[in-house]
Amino acid sequence: MRDRLVKILANLPADYADIRYEENEKTAIVYEGKELRKIAAYSTGGGHLRVYADGGKATSSFSSLDKAAPLAAASLSAAKLAAGHRTRGLRLAAAPVLDGAFPLTPAKDPRRLSLNEKQELLAHYNEIILAEPKVTTTVCSYDEFCSRRVFVNNEGTAVEYELLIVNIAGLIVVKEGDVVQQVRFAFGGSDDYSRLFDREEDLKKQIAHACELLAAETVHAGVYPVVLDPSEAGVFVHEAFGHLSEADGLQNNPAFRDRLQLGTRLARPLLNIVDDPARLEIPGGYLIDDEGVRAVKTPLITAGVLSGRLHSRETAAEFNEPLSGNMRAVDPQYTPIVRMSNIFIEPGESTFDEMIASIDNGYYLVGAKGGQTSGDQFSFGAQWGYRIEDGRLGAMVRDINMSGELFSTLEAISMIGDDLAFSEMGGCGKGGGGPMQLNRKSGKGAPHIKIDAVTIGGRR
Amino acid sequence: MTRLMSMAREKVDQYELYWQRTHKIDVRYENFHLQQITENDLSSVALRVIDRGRLGFSYGVFPDQPDLLAQAKGAAVFGEQAEFSFSESTSFPQVETHDEQTASLTSKDLVALCEEVKERIAAVRPDIALTIQCGAASRRLTVETGAGTHAEHAATSVSLSLFAPVKGAGSGVGKYQAAISPFTLPVEMVDEFLQWYSWSETASTPKTGRLPVILAPEASFLLVTPLCAGLSGNAIAKGTSPLCGRMGETILADSLTVYDDPLRAGDPASRPFDDEGIPGQQRALVERGLLRGYLLDLHSAAKLGEKSTGNGFKRVLFGGGSETTPNPQPGHVVIEPGRTPYAEMIAGLEEGVLLFSGMGFHSGNYPQGQFAVQGFGFHIVDGKVKGRLERTMVAGDIYQDMKHIRAVSCERREGAGSLVPYILVDSLQVAGRP
Repeated sequence: MRDRLVKILANLPADYADIRYEENEKTAIVYEGKELRKIAAYSTGGGHLRVYADGGKATSSFSSLDKAAPLAAASLSAAKLAAGHRTRGLRLAAAPVLDGAFPLTPAKDPRRLSLNEKQELLAHYNEIILAEPKVTTTVCSYDEFCSRRVFVNNEGTAVEYELLIVNIAGLIVVKEGDVVQQVRFAFGGSDDYSRLFDREEDLKKQIAHACELLAAETVHAGVYPVVLDPSEAGVFVHEAFGHLSEADGLQNNPAFRDRLQLGTRLARPLLNIVDDPARLEIPGGYLIDDEGVRAVKTPLITAGVLSGRLHSRETAAEFNEPLSGNMRAVDPQYTPIVRMSNIFIEPGESTFDEMIASIDNGYYLVGAKGGQTSGDQFSFGAQWGYRIEDGRLGAMVRDINMSGELFSTLEAISMIGDDLAFSEMGGCGKGGGGPMQLNRKSGKGAPHIKIDAVTIGGRR
Repeated sequence: MTRLMSMAREKVDQYELYWQRTHKIDVRYENFHLQQITENDLSSVALRVIDRGRLGFSYGVFPDQPDLLAQAKGAAVFGEQAEFSFSESTSFPQVETHDEQTASLTSKDLVALCEEVKERIAAVRPDIALTIQCGAASRRLTVETGAGTHAEHAATSVSLSLFAPVKGAGSGVGKYQAAISPFTLPVEMVDEFLQWYSWSETASTPKTGRLPVILAPEASFLLVTPLCAGLSGNAIAKGTSPLCGRMGETILADSLTVYDDPLRAGDPASRPFDDEGIPGQQRALVERGLLRGYLLDLHSAAKLGEKSTGNGFKRVLFGGGSETTPNPQPGHVVIEPGRTPYAEMIAGLEEGVLLFSGMGFHSGNYPQGQFAVQGFGFHIVDGKVKGRLERTMVAGDIYQDMKHIRAVSCERREGAGSLVPYILVDSLQVAGRP
């Protein structure tokens, strides 16, 4: 394959060109309630190429390798057309030429196990949930994604590398009278199948939380101090700050570019945030990005000051900053875009009890329930929460969504816990100028944190 | 395909093949500069089989992929007992969604349209960081079953979207338009984009409390998505929908009539059949506030002892595609217009909110009809736009709050997969200034 890709680029008179070809193997098993709604183990594939010429850029995705050469020629013409509609040409930062294979070596490799074995494990967890009388249905999924990729460019880089992630995740749906509530769960998030074993007690805790939610009161709308658990704080750092550390979003946005100059103080000195793809045991770990660049750890905020950014070769040249190896595509139909790997808040010195004791009227919010961001505005949900009154935890609350603005919220982080934890479930949606790419290999983590003011929406 | 089909006939009891081919060109400008041209040529297939009464699935790139059938048959060994049969339909309604002119558009044609848009906006607002995206797509879909269904559909679309972040704010303003055939400079769309941008340059935060809210067509997903989640045959069969057992009852205001119409002329997303090869049909879902119809695919129809309504689509909240299992989704939601001009709605508000989007919708309990989003739109005071919403959340429950609708506009527009009017909700909970 590698030689075939090299040959396609060999006679293309481009300033820069690359091709990525993928062979992907996936296993998907889904229970909904007692029903096995889906079971499949299958393979897909295809490729993507990028061409830079005269300062313009064009890309192309293809399912058939036979189309690669004509599409490369068409992309060269398109790149030249694009160049004519720019006043300043696009450039790429220099990157070391890489040549070699970078396979993964999982402790327990899911690719060596039978479909039956995976189905039985999932069925076991599904049955535990269904045994609870208040459970009205479940969504219980096994998701295994293995991608074998070959990347070559016309500078001499030729690498073969793998991505592998396995998860069991789902929804526990409970009902009492007319009230229906749901709680999520997730195990795994790495290439090691053994992390899916012995998770019964974790699952039972989530089932108990779901049942408690049926009697919880709805949250009161308003602006409150909050303590976020590690799962919620991980979503906060990913959504609110992380996306603004991806340089492709800033590249053509002068207002944010001015505001996010390296060296700018964004938070109190207690805050440190990093992006670390080298942690292969959590969902966003990888060795080589989809631009053939080695993945490296990048400090993003150090002692409250903006200290780094996530880059492609194009944005690194544009910003004159170091390469970080964050260009990634979820599958062959997409061009790579700049994405976080594993972003997390480093641990601080406060304890959970100290944080709760510091709040007279607020909320403790637990469990990630998805988030979204637009510029410096962010929004995310919590699976459940608790009132905090006079420094003590009170009644459970539900139906919680909160929003805010990045810069004032970063400044409002006033305490950071000593209990860093990582989410086992990846997942991030980003378009980056093209169609939405849902990336399962995106990790996040944090300790408990206290934010002095967050807007909470609610029907009361 | 023929080879796969003849093998499938011999080796499994039933089969259903879904094959999607797409050729698409996209041109993207960022901050007035042409950032990237993309040309994609993609194929994907999904095969479902029933073997010895059990369902198996497989997915791939082309129908002649050697392992496709073996993988589906292998999965069927462990699969669920099939409670339904694949489509036997052989005739389908006529829907014209293909224009050869669109299929032959080149990147130069799309660049020319973008340049016209760019010049019109740059003449007025050269200071904004404008993104323009223009695409031309040709799609061909085949659904074939062993029971005689051979459904083919070709569609083309041209799309144009505009976006600009508001200076000094995190939010931005966007507009989108799509058609089957090539179009010239859409002056109305561009001018409304400029008007919305101008309205957004001042920020305003309403005081926390209940306020009247106008849902612009772009924000109709706050009503349509929870409603369709409630109408889903899966949720009805499982008993988790708030609409279980409520057929014929009042669920929304009597000023709201909602159809599913996958056959609507002129819409690039119109389809003669769903992703399971079942013919599409125009159906009332809610008529003058009364619940009239659920959305059923083959699986949920079998569970409920009914027939599929042609609503089995490979879509989920974010995206979907060949590898998504068909599930009950609307073909194309249409809400009947009212009699109130949109401008009158705004002029008649002492204080209220005009929403054109909401962020964080998917984090809420929308299957039960509830939402709580960061509102993107405008604060209206004394019948005039005071400025863009800032630090404002808007929360509601469609089955409670949308029983009280003050007005439905006479104008309608495409918004998020639906053709809908502006809807003035009597009040929603707004969290803004303390």
